[in-house]
Amino acid sequence: MSLKSIHWNEVKEGEGLPVQKREITRTTVIATAIATRDFTPVHHDHEAAQKSGAQDIFLNILTTGGLIGKYMTDWSGPEGQLKKIVIRLGATCYPGDTLTSTGKVVKKYTQGDEHLVDVEYNLSVPMGPHAWGTVTMALPTKS
Amino acid sequence: MSQGVYEKLQAMVGEEAGPFEAADEVNKAMIRHWCEAMEDANPLYTDEGFAKKSKYGGIIAPPQMVQAYCIPPLWPKKMLPDPQAKAVRMMDEAGYAGVVATTTSQEYFKPMRPGDRLSYKIKLVNVSPEKTTRLGTGHFLTSEYTYSNQKGEVVCIQSFTILKFKPAI
Repeated sequence: MSLKSIHWNEVKEGEGLPVQKREITRTTVIATAIATRDFTPVHHDHEAAQKSGAQDIFLNILTTGGLIGKYMTDWSGPEGQLKKIVIRLGATCYPGDTLTSTGKVVKKYTQGDEHLVDVEYNLSVPMGPHAWGTVTMALPTKS
Repeated sequence: MSQGVYEKLQAMVGEEAGPFEAADEVNKAMIRHWCEAMEDANPLYTDEGFAKKSKYGGIIAPPQMVQAYCIPPLWPKKMLPDPQAKAVRMMDEAGYAGVVATTTSQEYFKPMRPGDRLSYKIKLVNVSPEKTTRLGTGHFLTSEYTYSNQKGEVVCIQSFTILKFKPAI
């Protein structure tokens, strides 16, 4: 990611975020489950996942949140501050899926002394939307 | 029958448990492990030199990590009096076997820094009337998690909604 941060002044409502793609492997699912300290069997045990009705082990929700935050700050740069993340959960993300992240700035406003943007995002898998919603970020301003 | 369960669930709304202490303090190793798995290169999380010059004056944890610090350890097992888990058990017994998470949100108020000790409370905040979805018929349960640091400052408020349902045949 760039060490430079986007300034609030430069952002336009309607502006799209660069598309990101990530290949989700079994290693991704298990490494993220461990890093998020989520030992629920469906995230590492194939048989337990199938018994629950899933076709395979699948990405946990904490990781979905982690990847949304990463997508946002990859765009904004490190000075973009995550204020609020709302996640609607859809299709399960399985090993072998390509997770595609897209986003768009839908609102630019100030609140108190903070300069904010709302970004609508969508993380999708071949089956459909995996997660979607709105992230509110505070961005630095050009002085 | 299901009306009885709904009434029992309604009576539980507002039930709160905690505070429960996180097993580990916020620390650089867990932050780096998180960033490695997410492929998150934000230097605020791992580059001390960069973070020192930022408005934070030092490394912070990715805010979404708050929940990871607060997941109860795999061992030794502790049974926490969690009102959401209690509601889920009650619905399991009433035949609502299916469960799916539908919505979650996190709002952040204070950054987490290495050395911070977190604790959290869980509150059952809403139970929906019976609804029929494509998965089946059931109730949406919403819980609210409030995470605080050792100074008593609220770090994050998270809401988490699940649908507990009788699978459609």
